Amino acid sequence: MSLSFLDKSYNAFHDDQSFEEANSNTLTLYKEPGLVVPPTFNNAGFRDQSHEIAKKFAKGTTTLGFVFNKGIVIAVDSRASMGNYISSQNVKKVIEINPYLLGTMAGGAADCQFWERYLGMQCRLYELRNKRRITVSAASKLLVNIMYSYKGYGLSMGTMVAGWDHTGPNLFMVDNDGTRLKGNRFSVGSGSMFAYGVLDSGYRPDLTEEQACELGRRAIYHATHRDSMSGGIINVYLIREDGWHKISSTDMDHLHWNYVEDKKKEIADRNKL
Amino acid sequence: MTTHISPQMASSGTQHGKFEPYVNNGGTTLAIPGKDFVIAAGDTRLSTGYSIHTRQSSKVFQLTDKCVIVTAGMQSDASTLHKTMHARLVHYEHAHGKQMSTEAIGQMLSNMLYGRRFFPYYTFNLVAGIDSKGQGVVYGYDAIGSYQSVEVGAMGTGQSLIQPLLDNQVAYKNHQLVPSKELDLERALSLVKDSFTSAGERDIYTGDSVEIAIITQEGIKYETLQLKQD
Amino acid sequence: MSILEYNGGAVVAMLGKNCVAVASDLRYGIKNTTVGCQMRKAYPIHQKCLLGMAGLATDVQTFLEKMKFRVNMYKLREDRDIKPSSFGNMVSSALYENRFGPMFLEPVIAGLEGDDNTPFISSTDLIGAQCFTDNFVVVGTASEALYGMCESLWKPEMEPEDLFEVISQCLMASVDRDCNSGWGGIVYILTPDKLITKELKGRQD
Repeated sequence: MSLSFLDKSYNAFHDDQSFEEANSNTLTLYKEPGLVVPPTFNNAGFRDQSHEIAKKFAKGTTTLGFVFNKGIVIAVDSRASMGNYISSQNVKKVIEINPYLLGTMAGGAADCQFWERYLGMQCRLYELRNKRRITVSAASKLLVNIMYSYKGYGLSMGTMVAGWDHTGPNLFMVDNDGTRLKGNRFSVGSGSMFAYGVLDSGYRPDLTEEQACELGRRAIYHATHRDSMSGGIINVYLIREDGWHKISSTDMDHLHWNYVEDKKKEIADRNKL
Repeated sequence: MTTHISPQMASSGTQHGKFEPYVNNGGTTLAIPGKDFVIAAGDTRLSTGYSIHTRQSSKVFQLTDKCVIVTAGMQSDASTLHKTMHARLVHYEHAHGKQMSTEAIGQMLSNMLYGRRFFPYYTFNLVAGIDSKGQGVVYGYDAIGSYQSVEVGAMGTGQSLIQPLLDNQVAYKNHQLVPSKELDLERALSLVKDSFTSAGERDIYTGDSVEIAIITQEGIKYETLQLKQD
Repeated sequence: MSILEYNGGAVVAMLGKNCVAVASDLRYGIKNTTVGCQMRKAYPIHQKCLLGMAGLATDVQTFLEKMKFRVNMYKLREDRDIKPSSFGNMVSSALYENRFGPMFLEPVIAGLEGDDNTPFISSTDLIGAQCFTDNFVVVGTASEALYGMCESLWKPEMEPEDLFEVISQCLMASVDRDCNSGWGGIVYILTPDKLITKELKGRQD
C-alpha cells in the first residue's frame, strides 16, 4: 500500500521528528499506511472543528455474532447515519476478509473498512509466508495491535472477527481501546442492548442452522425497530468448517409485516382451541 | 508515548492564535448512474457564512475520459484533492500506458482520504464514471474515505433536501406500482435539473448555476443550467 | 441535542383547491429509542380547522389541552367556531405568553375559512412568530427533507385525491431519511363537506 506520494507533499507541514518518535515503539508493519498526523502547534481549534466534522462520519449500527454447535452466525443491519440524517440504508457492514474470515463494522465506517481491508492483506501475506491459513486468534490480534498502537488518536471501531480455523469456530470482539475478547455471544453498536435481549433469551448451543440464523435475524430486527440509528436491510452470514456463506439479505420492513402476520395467525389458532 | 495532538500550548502560558483550518463553502452535488450512462452535477456558488465569494466556481473535475469527481465541502481541500488525484492519474497513465479504471479510481480516492485520517480533507465526494463493464457507476464517500457504490447520490448543503426526492423518483421508494421501465438519460437529466431548482429555492448555499456532466461510452458532454441568483 | 428533537416527529400541511391537508408521522421516542408508534401529531380543533404540532411531547400535550380550553371558551362567548386565521393568532399569542421560558413545540394550523371555504395554512416558531404561505408549511425533525420534497412535488390547485397522494409521498420520503421520525403516518384531508383521515403504512425502522 503506497501512500508515499501524499507523504512527500505533506512532509513540509507536519513535524516529522515527533511523528517518528510517536511511532518508534510500534512495529514497522503498522507504519506502512503512513498516516499524516496534524502539526504540533496549538491544536485546540482544530480539535474543536474536527470534532464537528467527525459527526459527519457515518455512524450508528447494530451487529451481532454468536457461536453454536454447528458454527457461527453473524447478523448485521445496514444503516449509516450522520447525526439524525440517514446517509445510507444499504451499507455492507460485514467485511469479507477472506473465504474463512469475516469482520463486522460498527463505529466509524471508514476506520472499519480501511483497517479490515488492510487486515485482509496481512492475512494473505501470512498465508504466502507460512503456507497455511492464519488462525482467527492471530488475525484478531493483528487488528487489535493496530488499534492499540493508534490508541488515543480517535479511531472509532467496534468489530467482531469471526472465522473457522484448525481449532474450530472462533469469535473475537475487537475495539478501538485495544480490547480483544474471545467469546460465544457478542453484539456491538448503538442497538446492541436490544439485540442482546433477544439473543440471550433465544440462545442455546444446540440450535439447528436454520434456527440459529433466524435467531440472529430476529435479534437484529428488534434492534432496528427500537433503535432509530439502526435499520435498513438485515444481512445474515453463517460460518461452517468450509468457510462463510451468505444466508440472507432481507429488508427489515418486509420482516416486520411478516412477523405481524405470524403473530395474528398464532393468536387466531390459539382462540380456535 | 506522548501524543502530540494535545493542546500543549494551553498550559505553557504563551498566547497563540487558534488553529481553525476548516470552513464550509457550501454547495450541492449530485450523481445518478444509469445502465450505459452516468450524470454528475454540482452547483457553482461558493460562499462562507452569508457571503457569496463567486458564482462560478466549479465543483466538477474530469479525471479520465469516462470518469469525473464532484466535490462538496471546503473549496481549498477540494482543489488540493483534485490536483493530487490528477497527478496520480497522469503518473498511472505514464506508467501503465492506459487510463485508470473507474473502479480503481474509487479505491484510490478512499485510500487518499484515509491517508489524511488525522487531519481530514473537509470534502464530500461523488465519483461518477463508466465501469469496465460499460455500466454507469457512482461511488459515494464520507470525509475520511468510507465508500460504497450508490443507487443515487447527493452531497453537500442540499443533500437532505434532494436525497429523499431521488429515493422517491429514482429508487421508487414508497411507490405502490413501480414502473418497469429503466431510468433513461432524458428522465435522469430532467430529475437532476428539477432537484437543483428545488434545492436552490430553500438552501441559501445552492444557486447561480449548475454544471452537469453527462458521461457515456462516447465521452463526456457538459451542460449548464441557470439557477436563481438570490 | 436540541429539546425540540428530544421526542422526534414531523408534521407538514399543504394547500389544495378548496381543501387543505395535514400529515404527521406516528413515532414517539426518547432520544434514539422508539417507545411507541401510535402517536398522532395533528388534531382536529373543530369541523374546519386542524392543529399539527411537532416538538417536545409533554409540551405538545399540555399546549393542546390549553388550546382546546381556549377554543371552547371562544365558542361559548361568540356562539360560533373560531376562524382558522383567528385560531392562528390565538396560538401565536398563547406561545408568546411564554416568551422567556418557551414551550418547545412548533405548530402548524390548517383550515377552511368563511362561507366560501377559503383554504388557510400557517405555522409559527416556538415563541409564536407566524408564517403565512400559499403552498405548504413544514415543522419537525425531518423539516429539511420535507422542504426538498414539497418544493418539488407540490403544485397549485390540487384536488383532494391528488393532494392526498402528494402529501403522503412527501411525508414518507422525508421521514425515511430521518432517524427520529417515521414508523407510519397519518393524513387528514379537510374538504368543505368532510374531514377524511387516512393512516399510512410506513417503514418500521
